[in-house]
Amino acid sequence: MLTMQNVSKVYTTEKVQTHALRDFNLEVNEGEFIAVTGPSGSGKTTFLNIAGMLETYSSGQYLLDGIDIGRLSDNQRADLRNQKIGFIFQGFNLIPDLNIFENVEVPLRYRGIKSAERKARVMECLEQVGLGSRLKHLPQQLSGGQQQRVAIARALAGRPRFLLADEPTGNLDSLMARQVMELLEKINQEGATIIMVTHDPELARRAPRNIQVVDGQIADFSLYQKQLAGTEPAVAEV
Amino acid sequence: MLAHYLDLSVRSFKRTPMTTLLMIIAIALGIGVTMTSLSVYHMMSMDPMPHKSSKLFHPQLNTRDQGVNWWTQDDLPHQLTYIDAKNLYQADIPALKTPSVKTGYSVHLNDDQIKPFMETVRLIDNDFFTMFDMRFIYGGPWSDESDNSGELVTVISAELNDILFGGENSVGKQVFFDKVAFRIVGVFDDFDYHVKFYDLTNGAFNQNEQVFIPFSLIEPLEVNNWGNTNGWKYEDIRSFQDKLNSELVWLQFWVQLDSPEEVTSYKNFLTNYLTEQATLGRFERQDVHFDLKNVMQWLDYNNVVTEDNRVVVGLSFLFLAVCVANIVGLLLGKFLKRVPEVGVRRALGASKRQVFMQHLVEVSLLGLIGGTLGIAIAQLGLWGVRSTYSYYDALATMDLSMFLAAPLIAILACIIAGLYPAWLVCNTNPAYCLKTQ
Ligand SMILES: Nc1ncnc2c1ncn2[C@@H]1O[C@H](COP(=O)(O)OP(=O)(O)OP(=O)(O)O)[C@@H](O)[C@H]1O
Ligand SMILES: [Mg+2]
Repeated sequence: MLTMQNVSKVYTTEKVQTHALRDFNLEVNEGEFIAVTGPSGSGKTTFLNIAGMLETYSSGQYLLDGIDIGRLSDNQRADLRNQKIGFIFQGFNLIPDLNIFENVEVPLRYRGIKSAERKARVMECLEQVGLGSRLKHLPQQLSGGQQQRVAIARALAGRPRFLLADEPTGNLDSLMARQVMELLEKINQEGATIIMVTHDPELARRAPRNIQVVDGQIADFSLYQKQLAGTEPAVAEV
Repeated sequence: MLAHYLDLSVRSFKRTPMTTLLMIIAIALGIGVTMTSLSVYHMMSMDPMPHKSSKLFHPQLNTRDQGVNWWTQDDLPHQLTYIDAKNLYQADIPALKTPSVKTGYSVHLNDDQIKPFMETVRLIDNDFFTMFDMRFIYGGPWSDESDNSGELVTVISAELNDILFGGENSVGKQVFFDKVAFRIVGVFDDFDYHVKFYDLTNGAFNQNEQVFIPFSLIEPLEVNNWGNTNGWKYEDIRSFQDKLNSELVWLQFWVQLDSPEEVTSYKNFLTNYLTEQATLGRFERQDVHFDLKNVMQWLDYNNVVTEDNRVVVGLSFLFLAVCVANIVGLLLGKFLKRVPEVGVRRALGASKRQVFMQHLVEVSLLGLIGGTLGIAIAQLGLWGVRSTYSYYDALATMDLSMFLAAPLIAILACIIAGLYPAWLVCNTNPAYCLKTQ
């Protein structure tokens, strides 16, 4: 469903050019659960941003469900993002003025879904993450783990086939992190394709497929498996 | 979606009440000042009789020797000589027409109930009442017979009728103007023309006369002119009769011409008339020079709306612009604080247009609230104008169109203020929330 061929991203600031991604190649199939690891600054977030059409790329080709993303306008990308992609952020990024229900409702509003159906879907998603009884709470009245579950419910509300998560457990303690991971696994089993960036090797190991990004490229996979097995030192430590 | 945007706007106002209040005050002040000056301007420049103003004409005749100049832009005098007013009045033209001149008398009832007081009095033909759509609460205009015979009859205003007769039907009763007794034949309803367009000589916005009497009384009563009198050559005027025969201009004249054909034939009449007068040796001119101006042309020609009035309106809009500039600053601060939230919305699928609209709705709502408050401030301003200059009594008010214009101008001003901040915020990079964690 997702194909990236020689995708590169160059950030040009006043002084330096940063090659955040270089000749990035990846093929993701429907229903996969992929954990992305790699050292800080290696380009993991950049990859997620491009995959989620939040950013454009400098060169190469990116096809999502056969659609050439490079040819779309900003508005078309917003539309496609709204329909196909759910985001989960490390910082939760709930809107502080909106209560739990309203936060989950946001992507549905932009899709122009009628009020009754919005309500049904929001309830369904909040129940799925176990927060069906706290609709009127504001985000700051919830714990970090609960907030992240709201964020997951929000990502699920649009019934995306593709979930992108950037360190979803980065701000959570290990117990809450495990709960979130279990939730993601459940969602994956129900059919959604998930790409998750994580620094946590334990969580990464639970994902069926692992990729490691080093210096803007996917590192040699066999090497990586050896690292996971502990027989080779991790690249980040080199 | 509009309802949702409105909901978000209200939340946003609640979140930053001080900033919101400041912005509302800024727009309300701007609108208050603008609407005060604009309302006065609107009333000044408004057509006083939209259904008829293009049919009522004021003639101007050049009856001076060639080479003698007048101070007007078209070198024509504003008023007519008695000779011309009388001739135009008596001409056999099938149209409503009236000469008119302003005088004044001490008004009393010849008893000790009411102290005599001075009132301006206008001499007219009874056509005047029809031409200027005057409504009567008691009686009606005097007859053509009265016009012809110079009967001592009068039509007074409801206001004067209140003073003299406590508002009762006074038709048939007597009223004294100086020492002369007049019989009241009609009481007219209050004038609602804000501009005294039938005679602009002494202030276009002064109150209209309260008393009307037949024009034909001008000779028997040797009526004094309370308006302007202008001459262009030396004339030895010793008696009232000398004045009537002189080339002094001091009378107004109106004629109602309902169709272009009537206008053409009236112009022909004036051409013939002036040619005839020249032949009689009254003046020496090679050309025939006159003009026929309808009400709006007449108001324009007399500079009823002065350059000063326009400057005041311009200045008030400048003040509004300053308010708008302040609002731009406040909005920039407010909207830019919202960049993280907008980033999330963008990542969740909001298009730039949707984000832009959300913010425009918010500023429009701000404009609506500020504009409504601005109406209140404008009312205060207009009240101030009225209580300072009674001359502006009829002008310093807001009519319906101004009431509607106020919120519209306010919303427009706020949208202008909000365009740049909204554009900035809608261009938030949707990757923002992933990049800044
Ligand atoms: N907007 C930007 N402008 C300039 N350089 C950028 C920008 N975003 C990212 N970079 C650079 O691109 C490189 C990759 O950044 P990226 O955020 O993808 O790394 P990451 O793998 O997500 O790191 P971390 O694990 O710390 O989140 C870094 O060197 C970063 O400094
Ligand atoms: Mg990152």
